[in-house]
Amino acid sequence: RGGSCSWGTCFDTSKCRGDGLKVFVHPVTGPISETQRRVLASVEGSRYYATAAAKACLLLLAGQCGREPLLWHGGRNHLVISLHAAPCPRTFQLGQAMVAEASPTVDTFRPGFDVALPLLPEAHPLRGGAPGRLRQYSPQPREALLAWAGESGGGPPAGTDSSACPWHGRCEQDAGAEQTHPGDTLPSATFCLIPGRRPGAGRFLQALQAGCIPVLLSPRWELPFSEVIDWTKAAIVADERLPLQVLAALQEMPPARVLALRQQTQFLWGAYFSSVEKVVLTTLEVLRSRLAGAPAHPWQLWNSPPGALLALSTFSTRPQDFPFYHLQQGSRPEGRFSALVWVGAPGQPPVKLIQAVAGSRHCAQILVLWSSERPLPSRWPETAVPLRVIGGHRKASDRFFPHAAINTDAVLSLDAHSSLSTSEVDFAFAVWQSFPERMVGFLTWSHFWDEARGGWGYTADRTNEFSMVLTRAAFYHRYYHTLFTHSLPKALRVLADEAPACVDVLMNFLVAAVTKLPPIKVPYSKQQEAAPLAPWGPGSTAQPQSQPPVPDCINPMVAGFGHMPLVSSRLRLDPVLFKDPVSVQRKKYRSLEKP
Amino acid sequence: MKTKHRIYYITLFSIVLLGLIATGMFQFWPHSIESSSDWSVEKRSIRDVPVVRLPADSPVPERGDLSCRMHTCFDVYRCGFNPKNKIKVYIYSLKKYADDLGVPVSSTISREYNELLTAISESDYYTDDINRACLFVPSIDVLNQDTLRIKETAQALAQLSRWDRGTNHLLFNMLPGGPPEYNTALDVPRDRALLAGGGFSTWTYRQGYDVSIPVYSPLSATVDLPEKGPGALLAGGGFSTWTYRQGYDVSIPVYSPLSATVDLPEKGPGPRRYFLLSSQTALHPEYREDLEALQAKHGESVLVLDKCTNLSEGVLAVRKRCHRHQVFDYPQVLQEATFCLVLRGARLGQAVLSDVLQAGCVPVIVADSYILPFSEVLDWKRASVAVPEEKLSDVYSILQSVPQRQIEEMQRQARWFWEAYFQSIKAIALATLQIINDRIYPYAAISYEEWNDPPTVKWSSVSNPLFLPLIPPQSQGFTAIVLTYDRVESLFRVITEVSKVPSLSKLLVVWNNQNKSPPEDSLWPKIRVPLKVVRTAENKLSNRFFPYDEIETEAVLAIDDDIIMLTSDELQFGYEVWREFPDRLVGYPGRLHLWDHEMSKWKYESEWTNEVSMVLTGAAFYHKYFNYLYTYKMPGDIKNWVDAHMNCEDIAMNFLVANVTGKAVIKVTPRKKFKCPECTAIDGLSLDQTHMVERSECINKFASVFGTMPLKVVEHRADPVLYKDDFPEKLKSFPNIGSL
Repeated sequence: RGGSCSWGTCFDTSKCRGDGLKVFVHPVTGPISETQRRVLASVEGSRYYATAAAKACLLLLAGQCGREPLLWHGGRNHLVISLHAAPCPRTFQLGQAMVAEASPTVDTFRPGFDVALPLLPEAHPLRGGAPGRLRQYSPQPREALLAWAGESGGGPPAGTDSSACPWHGRCEQDAGAEQTHPGDTLPSATFCLIPGRRPGAGRFLQALQAGCIPVLLSPRWELPFSEVIDWTKAAIVADERLPLQVLAALQEMPPARVLALRQQTQFLWGAYFSSVEKVVLTTLEVLRSRLAGAPAHPWQLWNSPPGALLALSTFSTRPQDFPFYHLQQGSRPEGRFSALVWVGAPGQPPVKLIQAVAGSRHCAQILVLWSSERPLPSRWPETAVPLRVIGGHRKASDRFFPHAAINTDAVLSLDAHSSLSTSEVDFAFAVWQSFPERMVGFLTWSHFWDEARGGWGYTADRTNEFSMVLTRAAFYHRYYHTLFTHSLPKALRVLADEAPACVDVLMNFLVAAVTKLPPIKVPYSKQQEAAPLAPWGPGSTAQPQSQPPVPDCINPMVAGFGHMPLVSSRLRLDPVLFKDPVSVQRKKYRSLEKP
Repeated sequence: MKTKHRIYYITLFSIVLLGLIATGMFQFWPHSIESSSDWSVEKRSIRDVPVVRLPADSPVPERGDLSCRMHTCFDVYRCGFNPKNKIKVYIYSLKKYADDLGVPVSSTISREYNELLTAISESDYYTDDINRACLFVPSIDVLNQDTLRIKETAQALAQLSRWDRGTNHLLFNMLPGGPPEYNTALDVPRDRALLAGGGFSTWTYRQGYDVSIPVYSPLSATVDLPEKGPGALLAGGGFSTWTYRQGYDVSIPVYSPLSATVDLPEKGPGPRRYFLLSSQTALHPEYREDLEALQAKHGESVLVLDKCTNLSEGVLAVRKRCHRHQVFDYPQVLQEATFCLVLRGARLGQAVLSDVLQAGCVPVIVADSYILPFSEVLDWKRASVAVPEEKLSDVYSILQSVPQRQIEEMQRQARWFWEAYFQSIKAIALATLQIINDRIYPYAAISYEEWNDPPTVKWSSVSNPLFLPLIPPQSQGFTAIVLTYDRVESLFRVITEVSKVPSLSKLLVVWNNQNKSPPEDSLWPKIRVPLKVVRTAENKLSNRFFPYDEIETEAVLAIDDDIIMLTSDELQFGYEVWREFPDRLVGYPGRLHLWDHEMSKWKYESEWTNEVSMVLTGAAFYHKYFNYLYTYKMPGDIKNWVDAHMNCEDIAMNFLVANVTGKAVIKVTPRKKFKCPECTAIDGLSLDQTHMVERSECINKFASVFGTMPLKVVEHRADPVLYKDDFPEKLKSFPNIGSL
């Protein structure tokens, strides 16, 4: 491996100038492990994938044995991924290739050039992955302070256990787990001691998942993605020669720090490590950041929820432009919204709706997304705010395209059939300003596990809880348009286009996967009948029964996301004096109470 | 390319050297300054400094060991004594060193190094006890390699009393290497000593061991470029002995002890006259060609300056730059540019970086492999643009892709870096020690935000202690804490009512009456969950917010001993709402603060309003961590003040939670008439009028202690999904809401 390589000297960025980062994967020769297969699948499913080497600026090599591949060129613009010790010897020099290796030793690691990967267990899932184990913020009252993980995966060899614990008798010995069964025996303690030598690296990820704060004693290996992840926020790296000081420091650590460290372990685990796909996409994102140059991915986007895979720097590099960082930035979302009205098959301009929405003093503009076969009407209602018509491509996913005309943080997504009053719009927008990262809607659906069919289902029946809001009347941040269009797997967007009812489900999946929280429901005066499940289906204007035969979108989406992201809520946010026994004159949103 | 550079440097060096000899100036930087040992404990005059003779054969340390890391070359045991996670630094006393023949090894000590040692000796790090020290700083000045006799300086280091191969010794060097090669690290053999160096490259920098520091610019001290606020332009100026920027890093000493400083008018972020500026002199001809080409292509928006050729007598050449025949004041001209180039010279580290940051100009770093100052902790992406040397000709288009708002933030960030870490030798010294301190006590290290966020961001940003989106499991339940004095009958009714709530897991009665014992065990209501009575030592309101060990759940329900109007459904629903908002106060009666324009102060409001900003803690759910914060982290004297006044503990809690989370409260369920909920402690005293006045005073008092008004006003409350909907009541989860 070229010891003197750096990003500037050994990587030719000029090849990436046109299309940005495009990755070609060398065809595999020889045996390949299951994890490697998953790595390749992740790259091939990503938006960086190039089908031909000529179109790519990065060539990827995973699990190559024997001789060097074609187009090797001394390793220039190559990334060699090795998650495990190679099953067979490599007979060629790595040359100028970058190495993405699991837990590389610090002596050979070239910062800013190589990429440090986590040491993944063999059975690490391709997508989704198990969520973090932490269910509460503060440590359990009688939780052990410290767990000590053995050196090898199968538990410590007899006789070495007590000597390896630097604090005699004060380590909670955990049983040790085979790497092939991750999560079987996750340590349950506030801190987890990870030895500095390399085999300890496997324990590191387990501790992270368990919410057990890793305490690394002079690690000889580079922490995963150390180029972008600030590990001081999630782990303690200490000098192994001062064990007593470390123990004292852990015992005296202020609760605020313990809380913050615990939460950060969970965020990092879920954002970058819980699946092979996340690890691979993070690797590519690190490289893309380098390509983009200086203002690529600010620290904050990497190191606070939802993480850099979900906060795309292609959208903006200013944290304030996203819905997630207003508190940290001391900023607030804009006080205006754009109404985006989708006009489908019947092709009638929804005059009443437009007037009601334009009546809100927070409304900045009205955008009509004309997706009807019929020609555009010549007359539009007079409104106090600008009205623009955008031609659609008659695809359901058009609704969530990041149209350049949307120039406010907030989007009010509407359907020509929707019916809202100005009061309802005003109140919902006031609520959204308190929750800019969530969807705030009027009509809801809920999902459930269908034992009989052995799959997920969803219903429009009115129940005591809900997990989705319909985008035919909902506020959300315009960033979700970018995320919907540029980060979702293509297969899912195609699914939504083919079955328009699915587009709502998909958007709700996406927002829930980002926020890990339910959407918010506000009162809706016209909610007498349940919201139909297929609002844009052919001839869908009126569906009498509450369970029309709709295509199954929810199960393919669960498969696509790798897990069920939806979260249920049992509450609705009403105006403070909603239906209180007090004079209507005192109420600001009195029209919401009309029957 | 390499050899071309080399020949160029050699030629240039020879010319400069000849020039030096010709003018007979042997006064290399740094200058020796009179009476400069005032940092030392003995306060000796520099003339009394003992002279140490170094025999020609005295030992020379090994060259620096490139494989050194903290865990291999640093003796951390020496730092074991240090309390409060702070390293102790010892400074060797000042000596003069001479060789066998009596020729001095170096001129004693420069003004800058003296300032540096003074800064350390005045800091918390300093110790005069060599036996307790964790880090040793020699009084041998190696800031500028040009002034050093390499071998003899090394010999001087080796004879220091605790040298021990340089273990735990810290050397400061800003100008490393010498002609013609210009190594990027100090050439003095130093074995294991840590090096705080200005101008490291990736080849010489030992990651996590050395510290990369700025090359101090003397203009920092003498030129005042205010970031904001207008100021008059004064004539004059002055600078110290840092003259290496003059020619080609080989110094031509020009020492001019002028005293006046220069004020400049406001130049905040925003459009400036030039898009890109190059102010360095003695650039490599190839770079200059590239720059001239840029200027030719982009015209007025690019300004390439050079040194002036025919300045009149008495004009300081370092303070002027020229473009053809046009003369510009330096560094003031930097304030006219959006981006300022910082190109590698013979050395990687350039003092111009400091001037550029001071001017709030965004530095464009064109120096491959350069380790930026304090890069271990500073996020340079926020303040600078790095462009590979081979892309210099594309620099204009690269910079054009940076959005305007980003540029403004980078300008602010650049200025902040200068203010915090560049502007004085002291700032440089303390940042260096802090970095080493953070490595030794990583669990007490300064965070990224503290290093990098400008004060304005630090002030307005909130870091929520419960930031992870998490919905705690319902199974854990909540602990109800009832504060009581002596209303036993009412208390028992509350206990009975609350015990009906399904998710209650424990009930804690805080008995606040010292004169009376709580009723016997047998008299208490029999309930299905553990009931525990805590007796307090003093009748204080803050007892209700103490983080009792008995609280095992994360959710706490604070409830007064007279709140009997809440139904079991309402309490259970409140708990469910808390689970969805675990970082907030979730309560029943809501209150509002208003700005009274007539009185110009805050006013407390309990009427039927459309907004809420507080909930009363006579009945509220919250995370138990806030009990810890209330008890141990309440700002100012608020906690004592509340206990003394026997009022407003709930307002204090609302302030605390809103301030730390930046979020509003959640009021649950419809309004109902609470039986004087705000005057529980002392019966009968609740004359409404005085009560409201007192509560308003609390708000004003707390707002002044917090230094801000943290409360957030919202227009919503939480109800069950189907509340008051036209839907069969028996199918609703929480039918019994708003009924009492």
